[in-house]
Amino acid sequence: MIRFENVTKLYKDKKALEDINLEINHGEFVSLVGQSGAGKSTLLKLIFAEEKLDSGRILIDEVDIASLSETEIPYLRRKIGVVFQDIKLLPKKTAFENVGFAMEVAGYAREKIERDVPRILEIVGLKDKIMNFPAEMSGGEKQRVAIARALAHKPVLLIADEPTGNLDEINSYEILDLLHKINNLGTTVILATHARDLVNKIQKRVVTMETGRVAYDQAKGHYKL
Amino acid sequence: MGSLALYRAIKSGWINFWRNFWLSAAATLVMVITLSILTLTLITFNVTNVAVKNIQERVDISVYFKGKVAEPQILNIKSHLEAMPEVASINYISADKALSDFRAKHAGNALIEESLAQLPDNPLPATLQIKAKSLDQYPAIATELAKPDYQTYVQKVNFEDNRTVIERLSRVLNTVKKLGVGMAIIFSFIAVLVIFNTIRLTIYNRREEVEIMKLVGATNWYIRWPFIVESILYGIAASIITILMTIPILNYLLPRLNLYLGTMLNDQTSAFSLSHIFLLQLGIALLLGIISSTIAIRRYLRV
Ligand SMILES: Nc1ncnc2c1ncn2[C@@H]1O[C@H](COP(=O)(O)OP(=O)(O)OP(=O)(O)O)[C@@H](O)[C@H]1O
Ligand SMILES: [Mg+2]
Repeated sequence: MIRFENVTKLYKDKKALEDINLEINHGEFVSLVGQSGAGKSTLLKLIFAEEKLDSGRILIDEVDIASLSETEIPYLRRKIGVVFQDIKLLPKKTAFENVGFAMEVAGYAREKIERDVPRILEIVGLKDKIMNFPAEMSGGEKQRVAIARALAHKPVLLIADEPTGNLDEINSYEILDLLHKINNLGTTVILATHARDLVNKIQKRVVTMETGRVAYDQAKGHYKL
Repeated sequence: MGSLALYRAIKSGWINFWRNFWLSAAATLVMVITLSILTLTLITFNVTNVAVKNIQERVDISVYFKGKVAEPQILNIKSHLEAMPEVASINYISADKALSDFRAKHAGNALIEESLAQLPDNPLPATLQIKAKSLDQYPAIATELAKPDYQTYVQKVNFEDNRTVIERLSRVLNTVKKLGVGMAIIFSFIAVLVIFNTIRLTIYNRREEVEIMKLVGATNWYIRWPFIVESILYGIAASIITILMTIPILNYLLPRLNLYLGTMLNDQTSAFSLSHIFLLQLGIALLLGIISSTIAIRRYLRV
């Protein structure tokens, strides 16, 4: 589904990613681990074209991202759901509106939005918080809204960048559980995280990054280091 | 763009418009000032224009013949004058015609009728009314008529030289045009600047939303349209306000001008029709708005 071929990414003159080769298949659950600054977020941003690479290529379903025109990129993004590391919820919108807004952008009709959003929020466990604003929610609840938003347009790929960032263990496991469920329904999931215990529990593929390179890639991995 | 996207763009633009009321009010106000100057210039220009034409049409040279001059002689002089390159047309009014016109005009006035009846002869002279092709050709015709050859026949040449009045009006016309157009350009520029800044601020206020929209797959135009719609709304609001101000002014002015100039301004030129004025205002307002928002979008909305 996704293939990185000798990908290098520079920020100004500083190398954030160097010679990355990686293949991720449909339906996989991949954990991306590594120290802060190792390049996890950068790697993910290249997939949904928030950042551009400097050399190499990234193929999604055999299509080179660099070959996509400005008008095609939005359609690539609609196939991907992203939970951003900095969450990016709009403070002046309720949970419902934050999710509905993303569906509007993707061109869904009002009726479908009104039908689907409460369901999705129920799936992520926020049935009672539909009309709450982000400021009225806990960190874990906000993460769930972000996950709901990422799922709203039924993506084939879910990218979750540190979705358990500041959460306690129980909350983190719940989020992880949620991601598993989504994966079991057929969505490919890439999870970037620091949380050692979490990764060790997953028992699925782990890609470990060190200073911009892929250091290990294990089918049933553990958090090394 | 589908109708759903169009609806959302309009809704979103509408929200932008109301989000910062005072800023929107300021943007609308400069646009109103610009449109008012433009409208005022247009009206003044057209009034002066009609006035000039009107006076030009009234200018002519009247040649009054002595009573004993026979009609063939007059017609002879007429065709001689018609041969002059300066002459556009000559209207011959015979003494009889002049009398019957006079009678018709004063029908019912017993005193005049009685006086006329008592006169042995027709007291009114035969007349030639000469029109030149252009204003500055009248002196040449007047000079020709002053030649001794005509003195035996002509009783009097009446040439009211309105050229100074007309020239003064033409100068006014020119000044109005230059001043009006100059002011309109300056204020258009100010309007573009203010609207540009307003849109820029809206973009700034919505930068988070725009960033997320992009990342969840909004097309570029989906992101841009609300800002263009916002500028269109300033244009619509401004032209409605301006036309509402124009209506009473025209209602006050037109009848008085018509009376003064002896014309029907509304009939002579469409420049005084409200729908024309409104369409012009709207067109210019939309143009200025769209120019402003396009520049702001190109500079500040990285999509
Ligand atoms: N926009 C940017 N401009 C310049 N440098 C950047 C930018 N984004 C990231 N970097 C740098 O690139 C490197 C990789 O950053 P990245 O965000 O990918 O790390 P990460 O593995 O996601 O870290 P964390 O676990 O803290 O989120 C870091 O050294 C970071 O300082
Ligand atoms: Mg990161």
